[in-house]
Amino acid sequence: MTRVLVPVAVLESEAVSLGLMNLLSTMDVTVLGYQVLPEQTPPDQARAQYEDRATSALEDIAEEFRQAGGDADHRLVFTHDRKQSIDRVADDVDANAYAITGATGAVDSILVPLTGDVDVDRIVAFLTDLIGDRDIDVTLFAAASEANADAVRSALEDVAADLDARGPAVTVETATSQRPLEALVDAIPGHDAIVMGERAPSLQSLVFGDEAHRVAAESVGPVLVVRREREPDAAPELDADDDRNDESTLDEESAVDDDAAPDDDADRDSTSTDEATDEATDEATERAGDGGDGDSPTGR
Amino acid sequence: MPTHSSSGSDVSNPADGDVPDAAEAPAPEPPSGENVEGTAPDTEPTVETPEADVTDDSELERTIGLSGGLAIGIGTMIGAGIFVFPGIAAGEAGPAAALSFGLGAVIALLVALPTSELATAMPKSGGGYYFISRALGTLPGAVVGISLWFGLVFATAFYLVGFGYYAVDTLAQLGVTVGEGLVVPIALLFGAAVTVLNVTGTENAAKLQNGIVALLLSILVAFLAYGGLDAVGVFGAESAPEQFAPFGTVPIFTTAALVFTSYLGFAQVATVAGEMKQPARNLPLAMVGSVVVVGVLYVATIFVATSAVGSGELGRIGETAMVDVGRELLGAPGALAIVLGGLLATMSSANASVLSTSRAIYAVSKDALLPKRASRVNLRWGTPHVALGLAGGPILVLVATGQVQVLAEVASFLHLVQYGLICVALVVLRREDPDWYDPDFRTPGYPFVPVLGALSSFALVGFMQRTSQVVGAALMLATVGWWAYYARDVSLRGVSS
Repeated sequence: MTRVLVPVAVLESEAVSLGLMNLLSTMDVTVLGYQVLPEQTPPDQARAQYEDRATSALEDIAEEFRQAGGDADHRLVFTHDRKQSIDRVADDVDANAYAITGATGAVDSILVPLTGDVDVDRIVAFLTDLIGDRDIDVTLFAAASEANADAVRSALEDVAADLDARGPAVTVETATSQRPLEALVDAIPGHDAIVMGERAPSLQSLVFGDEAHRVAAESVGPVLVVRREREPDAAPELDADDDRNDESTLDEESAVDDDAAPDDDADRDSTSTDEATDEATDEATERAGDGGDGDSPTGR
Repeated sequence: MPTHSSSGSDVSNPADGDVPDAAEAPAPEPPSGENVEGTAPDTEPTVETPEADVTDDSELERTIGLSGGLAIGIGTMIGAGIFVFPGIAAGEAGPAAALSFGLGAVIALLVALPTSELATAMPKSGGGYYFISRALGTLPGAVVGISLWFGLVFATAFYLVGFGYYAVDTLAQLGVTVGEGLVVPIALLFGAAVTVLNVTGTENAAKLQNGIVALLLSILVAFLAYGGLDAVGVFGAESAPEQFAPFGTVPIFTTAALVFTSYLGFAQVATVAGEMKQPARNLPLAMVGSVVVVGVLYVATIFVATSAVGSGELGRIGETAMVDVGRELLGAPGALAIVLGGLLATMSSANASVLSTSRAIYAVSKDALLPKRASRVNLRWGTPHVALGLAGGPILVLVATGQVQVLAEVASFLHLVQYGLICVALVVLRREDPDWYDPDFRTPGYPFVPVLGALSSFALVGFMQRTSQVVGAALMLATVGWWAYYARDVSLRGVSS
């Protein structure tokens, strides 16, 4: 199942729009409530005071996601560093994408910028799962210089054909520009949401902040960022997890012969949640939500 | 236990393999009891992982890395040791002041090692207070915890007065002579500014602090390299060697007691132990590393300073003697570099100490030794305004006294008692070996290191001025009185999860 992390600054009354909830009704959702604290404040001190308030707000948001049709659980983190926390929890719950919330009504069309070095296969796979059999239009977009405009366009056409075969109605749009970000911002009107790939950190992203957040700042609607493939070296802890997951998958295969497939699925779910302490709650929510997966995407 | 009402959490978490059978350990009682207001210690069960602490409902991200930890330790210490004390110390002990600083470094190291072990076993905010209250019980805990607050307040006041001297000297370098009468007003103004900025400022200054520390270290290393070559006569005129210990050996010890304030920063690292990433590795490295770095720098600085200017002259100038050392070695640019360095260093010391003070207050208030109100956080800025006020207010009162030496010594007094008790706590825990005690770092040279650490910490107190001893002892007695009135029924010994 594809999982999306939805970070919400819960104590700053950040809200999740109904449009985004409905868009994500085909996904498993982890709502990550966070509060960024200045360095003067130990996270534990803020927890002591705000945990109850934040948790009840998070439970409400998760419940709304469930009513919209998807499966949802929630986590709460007090941190000095927003990005570090989002990355850690996204790794932890094995999320394929994270959301930057924004205001939108019903989502009928999605803009998908593919400029630059992004993992197209992951984005296409994510889009397919996200849209499912719903009637949502996709616009593939890329900015290119005059010289290689044709090459870029034909590459986009290939992706479009691939995506088209899987269901969604696709149009292709290119812009001739040296400034991909500005061209992208110009292409936003007429689209309700953006799905884009996460880029590797670069000098530019260090100076200006990462691209997704700059796009989000320019667009009113929500942005879904498809995460990069994690490099095994980057996080040794993750590595250990992968091993564990591999093992459990093997176990599963050997167990299939024993005619125990349904139980087995649940087992795999629980072992892939790696943080020992959250296992109990996560597992419970996941199981409880299993029944709701098949609900119609229109939700309430 | 029955008083623990919030969230009704069951302590035994079936899923956590990280905590070795904490739930069924019979001997250590979890924190319990109530203070006079009927408040019980906050006993939220927490599981520590290298990246975050996990409680029932939330996760507390660990965000301070090794460089951040070193910056806190070094940034706190360097201001006092290099920019304020050399003149005073050289005036009291002659060139042998280098030995005093060396002695201070050895004692700090003897304490830093046991502190590291305890911090890896209990990576919590509160540092020394937490270890002592859990190992030795509520009374020693209360005395140390509240004394840590006072100690940090005295230390911060001392840094601020140092800042005042440098500010006046900076003006003098720029051609505005205002005289030393303005030292205290400037220090007061800046102390108030630091407090207000900490309450209202939500910009993270941590990166700035790292940058300042890196800049200071490079200025100092360049300066010391040049000065060191000069002192041994590689270039320039060979300086006349003076008698090494003109006042005998006793001043070496009394000076060590005075300048020990320059080593208080490593315990500040322990106060943010709950926020360090991979505490098992980073805490010992940050604490021991910062003591070693500043110890070497201090000894080198005194050597260069006494060689360049002579200890009598240094002692006459006092707090800002390093400026003249800079001028002697490198002319006017040297003096300016030192003046700016001194401003930055005392500023970062004061700021880091205010942050530690607020964490120290939080730690005791969480355990119901101070009213819960003291650790309130406001949602507007997300800062603990009450605790910051409890730090800033007394600091300003103390700054107004302008007594550099007494401020420094009382700060050292209160810290040294804590350090001695940390060593005692280590020995007690090693002997009792409770189930929950599972440090990742083990002090080398046990039992000699902690025993020596405790003895030398307590002995150093004996070499202080009578005034400082009286003030320090009176403050500690007051904390005992507070404990007897407010928190006699609170029991903190042991760790439940």
